[in-house]
Amino acid sequence: MVNPGYKNFKGEDWVDPTPPPAHLPLVDEVGSTGAPLKSASFFIGTLCKEYNEDFMLCKNENRNPEHCLLEGRKVTRCAIDALQKIQSKCQDEFRAHWKCLDGKNQDLGRCRNPEKGLNECLFTAFGWKKDLPGAPTNKPQIHERTPLTS
Amino acid sequence: MPVPFESLIPFAIISGMFLVTGTGIRYAQTKRNEGKVARYSLDDWDRKMLQRDKQLTGTERGQIDDPVAPAEFKVNSAWK
Repeated sequence: MVNPGYKNFKGEDWVDPTPPPAHLPLVDEVGSTGAPLKSASFFIGTLCKEYNEDFMLCKNENRNPEHCLLEGRKVTRCAIDALQKIQSKCQDEFRAHWKCLDGKNQDLGRCRNPEKGLNECLFTAFGWKKDLPGAPTNKPQIHERTPLTS
Repeated sequence: MPVPFESLIPFAIISGMFLVTGTGIRYAQTKRNEGKVARYSLDDWDRKMLQRDKQLTGTERGQIDDPVAPAEFKVNSAWK
């Protein structure tokens, strides 16, 4: 990526070290990469449903980043809280699940066995259940299906 | 007269070449992806997530699961 006026200067080296403006409250960023976030996604979704919906509705009004800073801070804090809760009780199952996901193109359907362990651990620890919103109620959900044979 | 062994040499050469190509491709991909299988069918979300992972860990396939990001993460997004 060549920035205009900097012919041989890679874009990755151009880092802006100025901190954010002082009137904004300081909030930590979520430090998980893609696979742990995908593994915890449904639990973050049930925990942080109101904050996420607030943020999406706010963004719907106005795409300007400055408009939704407050809701964004709440979303970040809630996600950090959810990840801390998961890791306090079920860290081994969580790690096993996201390591499996990392090797399988982050495909949830190919890592059902570690996911079963994680869901059971979280259910016994906090009572959380992985629920697909909008799934039909007359059949078992996709992660709870059992094979017809054997 | 039994099958002459000379006629099977080309088959052995062809299979050997398939093995060489397969092994070479697998070696190149695992080297590029830190020992993991290459990602495929990436959409915009996945590409932006890979870029975020590079900011967090230094490589696109590195994974960490700390809830809170290190302080450098706030300022290390490169201007594009």
